[in-house]
Amino acid sequence: MFTKKDRKLGVAEGKRQYDLPLNKAEGSGFLILLISLMTFLAVIALAASFVLGAMTQRWTSGLENRLTVEIPAENEEGVILPNEDVKTLTADIAAALSKHPAVKNTEILGEEEIQELVSPWLGDDMVLKDIPLPGLISVQLHITNPDTLKVLENKVKDITPTARLDTHQTWLNDLLRFTGAMQFAAAMITLIIGVTTVTAVAGAIRSRMAEHRAEVELLHLMGAKDDYITEQFQRHALLLTLKGSTLGVLAGALVMTFISLISGDTAAALVPDFKLNALHMITLFLLPVIACAISAFTARHTVLHVLADMP
Amino acid sequence: MIKFENVGLRYGIGPEVLGDINFTLDPGSFHFLTGPSGAGKTSLMSLIYLGRRPTRGLVTMFGQNISDLDRRKLVPIRQRIGVVFQDFRLLPHLSAFDNVALPLRILGRPEKEIDNNVNELLDWVGLGDKTNVLPPTMSGGEQQRIAIARAVIARPRLLLADEPTGNLDDEIGFRLMHLFDQLNRMGTTIVIATHNQAIIDKLGHPCLVLDSGHLHVDEPKNWIQKKIEGVF
Repeated sequence: MFTKKDRKLGVAEGKRQYDLPLNKAEGSGFLILLISLMTFLAVIALAASFVLGAMTQRWTSGLENRLTVEIPAENEEGVILPNEDVKTLTADIAAALSKHPAVKNTEILGEEEIQELVSPWLGDDMVLKDIPLPGLISVQLHITNPDTLKVLENKVKDITPTARLDTHQTWLNDLLRFTGAMQFAAAMITLIIGVTTVTAVAGAIRSRMAEHRAEVELLHLMGAKDDYITEQFQRHALLLTLKGSTLGVLAGALVMTFISLISGDTAAALVPDFKLNALHMITLFLLPVIACAISAFTARHTVLHVLADMP
Repeated sequence: MIKFENVGLRYGIGPEVLGDINFTLDPGSFHFLTGPSGAGKTSLMSLIYLGRRPTRGLVTMFGQNISDLDRRKLVPIRQRIGVVFQDFRLLPHLSAFDNVALPLRILGRPEKEIDNNVNELLDWVGLGDKTNVLPPTMSGGEQQRIAIARAVIARPRLLLADEPTGNLDDEIGFRLMHLFDQLNRMGTTIVIATHNQAIIDKLGHPCLVLDSGHLHVDEPKNWIQKKIEGVF
């Protein structure tokens, strides 16, 4: 039996991997590098998409079916009301709203909470009783729909016409539109990466086919089925993609870990932690499998297409 | 077994290189294909081993009209044909063993069977000690024997050889023809394209004579006589 120590010039290797010399083909390293870069970019784009998704989820779940009623500290003529009057109006509105079946509960914000809200603009040392403060009611609804909101608004305005209902929809919609655009961009980048990978693999396989056309023709003339020839190219593309995509995912995981470390606890209310859940991690680590499947399919399709031109 | 009726072949939009080819090869027959250089021998061989489709006419092989047959249905027909190419077409990165084993691997035979058959055949062609040697390091004669072993390993029903004695001295050429003769006696239909007049004369098998793209079926002596008379 042939062993490694018997190897000398002109003697074949003991283990035959391919009928075609694909494992010795020039340019394999380049394809591995390209696929690893593409996979790396896909990891970053997908991770960004997941973080944006988590951010959207946090905003929508936190503000869903909620509204805030603001009772200004002045009447319709612009006359400043005493704080006691504002408190009375606030209590009346809260009581009226609580009776509506669509309202789950109401919460009147106390002076301390209002001070917390206004302190970024007015400073911590401001004496609240010196300035007119609006009344604020946080309302939790069972369900939000335009009809219900209209009924509630009428109820509030019956008590004091200057009161306003804030459903947070305006600024939330802007933010959701922004994150939606970002997620769309991430999806487009992932799609472009996929198309680039398919093009690169198809180009590499076509190049290998051209390089080994004589050998492919020989196998064809000897009665090799298309599958016999295709499987060799498919296996070759699959191995290169597996190597490249594994490297890309590992590099992506390193960069993600680094970003997670440097972002630390800076995440404020608006920006969630740069952390992925288990499902996201599984999806990212499935990228090599997806890349291999795309690559194998592309290789098969390309080879079959070329073979179809043979008699 | 093989029937060509009014077969023509042209490359692209060029002139016909073969025109109105008519012949029949019976099972177990032995024919030489001969004619002057450029007469279209290699083109005709490529039609027989299904390397090309005819541009016109009817080709029947193993009972099937292959002129318009779906390319996937040509696979089992190709598997019944062994070809020794003029330039051998050995795969340079594969060992002698793997080159010879190729047709059996294509047929999906078990490795144990491949091992036994290939080693036996390599012994038979006198290359049993060179199983792991790569073709580029072998002599022309050795490469030729590997090409022949590869062509016969799957026991084809039709064996085609294009100028198989081209690179060999007369003695090895005759030995090779003896080998083909043995295969023919075992039932293999054989077509050999050759210029070698001595071999045609010695073996005495009928000749398919190609001249300017047209085919004549002749007895070897007639062909030689006509060649002497300057007909070809």
